[in-house]
Amino acid sequence: MNMVEVDGLHKRFGGFQAVEGVTFTVAAGEAFALIGPNGSGKTTTLKSIAGLVAPTSGRVLVDGIDVWRQPREAKARFSYLPQRAEFPENLTAREVVEFYCRLRRVSSGRGIEALAHVGLDGKECVSKAVGTFSGGMTQRLGIAVMLLAGAPVLILDEPTASLDPESAQWLLESMQELKEAGTTIVFSSHVISDVEMVADRAALLVNGKLIAVDRPGALDHVLRRAASPRRTITGAGNRCLKVAVHL
Amino acid sequence: MDWIIIRAIASLEFRIHTRSRWTLLFGLVFAALSLGIAYFGMITAGLVGFQNFTRTSASLLNLVIYLVPLMSLTMGALSFTTEHGAVELLFAQPVERNEILLGKVGGLFASVAVATCFGFGAAGIVISLNSDGGGMAGYAALVALTLLLAFVFLALGTMVAVIARTRTRAFGYALFTWFFFVLFYDLLVMGIAFVLKERAANVLIFLSLFGNPADMMRVSALIALGGTTIFGAAGALLVKFLGGAVAGCVLLIAALTAWGIAPLAVAGHILKKQDI
Repeated sequence: MNMVEVDGLHKRFGGFQAVEGVTFTVAAGEAFALIGPNGSGKTTTLKSIAGLVAPTSGRVLVDGIDVWRQPREAKARFSYLPQRAEFPENLTAREVVEFYCRLRRVSSGRGIEALAHVGLDGKECVSKAVGTFSGGMTQRLGIAVMLLAGAPVLILDEPTASLDPESAQWLLESMQELKEAGTTIVFSSHVISDVEMVADRAALLVNGKLIAVDRPGALDHVLRRAASPRRTITGAGNRCLKVAVHL
Repeated sequence: MDWIIIRAIASLEFRIHTRSRWTLLFGLVFAALSLGIAYFGMITAGLVGFQNFTRTSASLLNLVIYLVPLMSLTMGALSFTTEHGAVELLFAQPVERNEILLGKVGGLFASVAVATCFGFGAAGIVISLNSDGGGMAGYAALVALTLLLAFVFLALGTMVAVIARTRTRAFGYALFTWFFFVLFYDLLVMGIAFVLKERAANVLIFLSLFGNPADMMRVSALIALGGTTIFGAAGALLVKFLGGAVAGCVLLIAALTAWGIAPLAVAGHILKKQDI
């Protein structure tokens, strides 16, 4: 059963084609990664799934529900973590999670549990203004907000980008645990080792186009193969080379 | 529409803004200026000391016309262009975009209302202790009309923010909107009326009243405070045009309400399909 279906997704911002005909599906309980260089369309694709960016054409289904036709129902099935989670500076961590608990219609106890899960349950953290948090703590709060609803699908945009190595490792392990518990995960990353650690499959995006979808190891092999016979590479292949170097 | 969601967003927005030093500053400045006007408002007539509510209300009206639109526009514009990560997180929740819009505007309005009432309240307490207390009903009407004006300019600020999308641009558009309605509009109308024939100019001036919420608030407040006596002959004619003092007030309040709803409808329409 597919939990996420992206079908012929096109997105144009003015004269810039950000995503061009991207199609893929993510099965229930699968971890799926989007990889590619900056500007390859990873974030736009994730934002389209999260109902933040309206597709120019194509459609996005979460648990069989069209994200743009039935946004409330579709969004109840997933939680989204932006690349840099931010919150009003004069709220406390407790107030933040309590607010999102109300929006997700779950008890505030779930929010406190989520804070404990991300290590922000200390008295000084719960009642401290978010404005005094470090970048890593703010991202952990974002993760708590993502987890509190217990949504069956998680969408994460470069989740380890603003975390220190220790926190990044903790998050990757948490993602593995969630996957093992049956949660469907769709995330983007620049870091191939992160992708290999968590993802069952990965999609390579280059200049808004889907180049390949495969297991991370196999995709790595594709990238290496694309990188070595440089003379035979043309068009998108050349761009693959840049991706490989970047990764 | 889910009113529980709207209330949750509104109460959070209210909490954020009542803790903001800008709202606190607005409340304190408004209170100080209100007290100053209550005390020195009749200095040109050689009177110093706390005046009654009627005189203070007439003087406060000018302060309200300048300060409340500025505060409301900037708050509306800046609230909808907060940190990008916060906006993304909120809009990815299972809530409709119109619920976010209404919740945010509701919370903002409540916080502006608290600050405004604090300012009026401080002046009101001092006036009632130091004067005969005459004109309290007019003062209350001024407070109510001020809140309506705040709602209109909050709605305009919100629309400006949704159109502008970035914080800097939204702030610039908000200042321009304030400048246009509070300072420039009357000059523009007078300039156009100057080149028209008398009858056409009269019609233009009458109709132009409905093109500017600040003017509508000013006229409705003056009608509420003193009817035709404050206006003089031109005002009496205007009130007659409007169908009498009560009908005129009702018409202007209805028009002001429409001025508040229309920008929200436009903002909601744009926001519905806008990329976040």
